[in-house]
Amino acid sequence: MKSKLIIAIAAMGVAVLFSSCAKVPQTEIDAATASIQEVKDAGADLYVPEAYQALVDSMKSANEKVEVAKAKWFPNYTKAKDQLAVISQMAVDTKAKSETRKVELQAEVEAMIAEVKTLNEENTALIAKAPRGKEGAAALEAIKSDIAVTETTVTEVEALLANGDLIGSNDKIKAAQEKATAIKAELEEAIAKKGGR
Amino acid sequence: MVRGRKKKITWIIIALLSVFFVAGTISVFIVSQKVLPTDDLRLAREALTVAKDAGADLYAEKLYKESVQMYDSAMVNWSRENSEFILFRDYTRVINFAKSSKEKAEEAEEASIKKAANLSQNAEAAFVSLEKKIELYRRLFKDLPLSKSVFDAHNKSKMLLSESKIAHESGKLKDAEILFKKAEIYINHANHAASKMLRDYFNDYSNWNNLANNAISASHGGNKVILVDKVAHILYVYQSGKAIRSYEAEFGPNWMAHKERTGDKATPEGNYHVTSEKVRGNTIYHKALLLDYPNDEDRRRFALNKKKGLISRNAGIGSLIEIHGNGGKGFNWTSGCIGLRDRDIDDLCRLVGSGTRVTIVGSIEPLSVVTKGLDF
Repeated sequence: MKSKLIIAIAAMGVAVLFSSCAKVPQTEIDAATASIQEVKDAGADLYVPEAYQALVDSMKSANEKVEVAKAKWFPNYTKAKDQLAVISQMAVDTKAKSETRKVELQAEVEAMIAEVKTLNEENTALIAKAPRGKEGAAALEAIKSDIAVTETTVTEVEALLANGDLIGSNDKIKAAQEKATAIKAELEEAIAKKGGR
Repeated sequence: MVRGRKKKITWIIIALLSVFFVAGTISVFIVSQKVLPTDDLRLAREALTVAKDAGADLYAEKLYKESVQMYDSAMVNWSRENSEFILFRDYTRVINFAKSSKEKAEEAEEASIKKAANLSQNAEAAFVSLEKKIELYRRLFKDLPLSKSVFDAHNKSKMLLSESKIAHESGKLKDAEILFKKAEIYINHANHAASKMLRDYFNDYSNWNNLANNAISASHGGNKVILVDKVAHILYVYQSGKAIRSYEAEFGPNWMAHKERTGDKATPEGNYHVTSEKVRGNTIYHKALLLDYPNDEDRRRFALNKKKGLISRNAGIGSLIEIHGNGGKGFNWTSGCIGLRDRDIDDLCRLVGSGTRVTIVGSIEPLSVVTKGLDF
């Protein structure tokens, strides 16, 4: 009887020893990796770079946790699994943020395009009112060519936007907006001076 | 007999369990003595994050990539070692990779900061240089009859400079660099073409200087002589060697060229005379003084150019070059005539009449004076 008990305890010990080797949470790792790739494909690395980088760092940290667990006699992947679950949720949030930023950026660029177009129209109208003395007329010729450049830029930005290059179009339209605003200020100043004479 | 056997088995089991226990204890002791690469990997990862924040992936790309590769190698090796039996695991390589990754990341961060500072400095220097070139164009070249491509290149460079400044302000230093380099190409093209045009034009300066000096000499003794400076856009009236009047003048869009044929919108250069005065009703330009273009030299040059095939066989030499009113528009708009403000042509017509000598030159002043010593 006593020997049977000892044999049973020994068998249980061996069983516990081997059965407690928990499995690597590969499904969770794959899911988190796929979700990060999905977020990258959505352009998060461009539109919300900080959030995307935090996600990548978290994934690296989770992978380290997996290896830390694997290095133990009795691996326990609970912490790694918890972090992987957080990463999957973070990925969903980051993707949503990225999509929101894209929509915002698109709206901003479209608004700036409309603003530059309006400014160009206003500037063209202001040219008719501007003084046309020797220097004035020469300056107006230069301004007309500047307006033409901003018009060309708007066309280029619209092409970039159509190709989905929101960042590029945003930078370009900002320059055109600055230029068109400066032209308007220059024309208004010249007209005001003319009126003051 | 059976009892003795059971006892024997019991002792064997106890002995085995003891061996197992001792082996287990020794194994646990050995494993506990192994240093895990956890801290090294964490430090490497953190160093990589700091390097990335410093823009190392952009400005120290090679070092940053090496650091990432070493981190990845550390992770792969860690995973491989973990798949070995626990007592046979060796994390030395993992730790070495992690440490190298951290060192590379720190190097990348440092290199990135330096590169970014350099790029920023270069961009700022380029902005100053480009603005100077744009200003040079504005001061010297903007009124030249340049081709549309030169004009467009100048305008394009201004827009690219603005874009570069915006990229610089938002920390996109590489984009800023690409943009200012593009702007530089455009402005250099525009300024080079314009300066070449100006320099080539002034190759005739000694001839103009002689013409102008002769005209001024001809004004001695009370004669009134008209001297037109195309570059300065001024029409002078000289008498007794002194300029007694000067008026702002406008020419054709192709004013820098010497007139060679009908419709070239160029203003002729040389010695001419007023042949008649047109008053209101006889001209659409308020008042006009008709010149005797073409003169003998113009005809000779025209024939020679035609012979050389430089001018179309059907082209005419042109005529009706006048000094007339309707000017003051601020740009070169005539078909090759000399446009003055109405009040100025009125004044000029009071001073001169038929037979007055009219000398038209590219410039009275040499290029160095015209360009005010500007380096171009």
